[in-house]
Amino acid sequence: MVIRQRAHAIWVIFLSFFLAYLLAIVPFPEWAMDYRPEWVPMVLIYWAMALPYRVGIGSAWCAGLLLDILEGTVLGLHAMGLVIIAYLTLSLHLRLRMFSFPQQAGMVLALIGINLMLTHWLRHLTNQTVSSDLMFLMAALTSAVIWPSLFQLLRQVRRGFDVH
Amino acid sequence: MFADYRFGYLEQVRYGLGFVTTPVYWVADTPTRVSSWVDDVFVSRTDLLVENERLREELLVAQRELQLLESLASENSRLLELREATEVVEGEVVPAEIINVSPDPLSRRVLINKGASDGVFVGQALLDANGLMGQVIEVLPFTSWVLLITDASHVTPVQVNRNGERALARGSRGNVSMLELEFVTQTQDMQAGDLLVSSGMGQVYPKNYPVAKIASVRRDPGREFATVIAQPLAEMARTRHVMLVFESEETLIPALETLDKPATRKISPPQEAHNRP
Repeated sequence: MVIRQRAHAIWVIFLSFFLAYLLAIVPFPEWAMDYRPEWVPMVLIYWAMALPYRVGIGSAWCAGLLLDILEGTVLGLHAMGLVIIAYLTLSLHLRLRMFSFPQQAGMVLALIGINLMLTHWLRHLTNQTVSSDLMFLMAALTSAVIWPSLFQLLRQVRRGFDVH
Repeated sequence: MFADYRFGYLEQVRYGLGFVTTPVYWVADTPTRVSSWVDDVFVSRTDLLVENERLREELLVAQRELQLLESLASENSRLLELREATEVVEGEVVPAEIINVSPDPLSRRVLINKGASDGVFVGQALLDANGLMGQVIEVLPFTSWVLLITDASHVTPVQVNRNGERALARGSRGNVSMLELEFVTQTQDMQAGDLLVSSGMGQVYPKNYPVAKIASVRRDPGREFATVIAQPLAEMARTRHVMLVFESEETLIPALETLDKPATRKISPPQEAHNRP
């Protein structure tokens, strides 16, 4: 029988999300706007993969609602995107842990690409943007490129503070 | 999501969550505040003297222009009285600061540091020192989102200052922050360099604020409409200091009275005629 352990140092998770929010809204130069990595989804993928019993679909929903308020989008837009990311990550987390860095980066590319396309489509439905090209997908590429370093950083943090 | 978009049931929820997100903005804005504080503190005496001199000169020029403007305004109101129109009184302005820009590359919105606690309301106009910037679209407790006039989904009613030709200025698509004038016929008199001011139609923006300068006019005989591109006067990407326009009560009430006037005039003569016998 598995006894559910008491949470330890989960403030680290909140702090990492807080930093991700900061990075998500810090002003960028105009030309680099399309290349801003998707920080919040990446942090969510990491925690859902490392601690699936702590960070799941519910936390993804809350994190998404906050992101909606921060970015001023329709309430529920990012919440839906992040819930789908969390679901896919939870169902793949055992495999994701075994993957090498390039394979993981590829999965992150796919997950964030799905998220971006879905939110972009919903933004169109709610008349929040008028798009001209597919440049918005570049964010998935930059996210995949920095994924290995973010992964190692968060793993060091998780082990250092013994978050579980 | 559907509920928020269609019905606005969730206004209260958004407003409440706005309290939670304020600290994030505050921290994200810290680097800018620190750097401007450092600029203020570590500035040499000579720089201060030079800046002081420059500001004094600018003030002098501005005061001279203000005097000219006052005489023009009184002349204008006299002329308007002749035409039995209302006097256009300018509303009050309240300074605000831009603390963030929208992270979405496809929409042009900025966040300002004034919210419901300062009396900001949806539809309020935002100006910078050079011209019109946009309108408030969402009010949170201490901050508000402003849709810039260069957003592709935003249309500003404008008129050419030189001859009063009216047009609609839509934000251009893609990554350039310019305005495109829609439905300008080939024969309308517009030239590069013309100043566009807000026409006050649509009842969102106050009248006669400078909006943009026409950058190019292309008349292709094969097309129905001319392609007119205009450069907004407000410094969308650079400025931090902006102004919110509060139209005072006095400006709104006379406007409403004049709206009613023609109707009452039409009705009153028959009533008098009816009462007399």
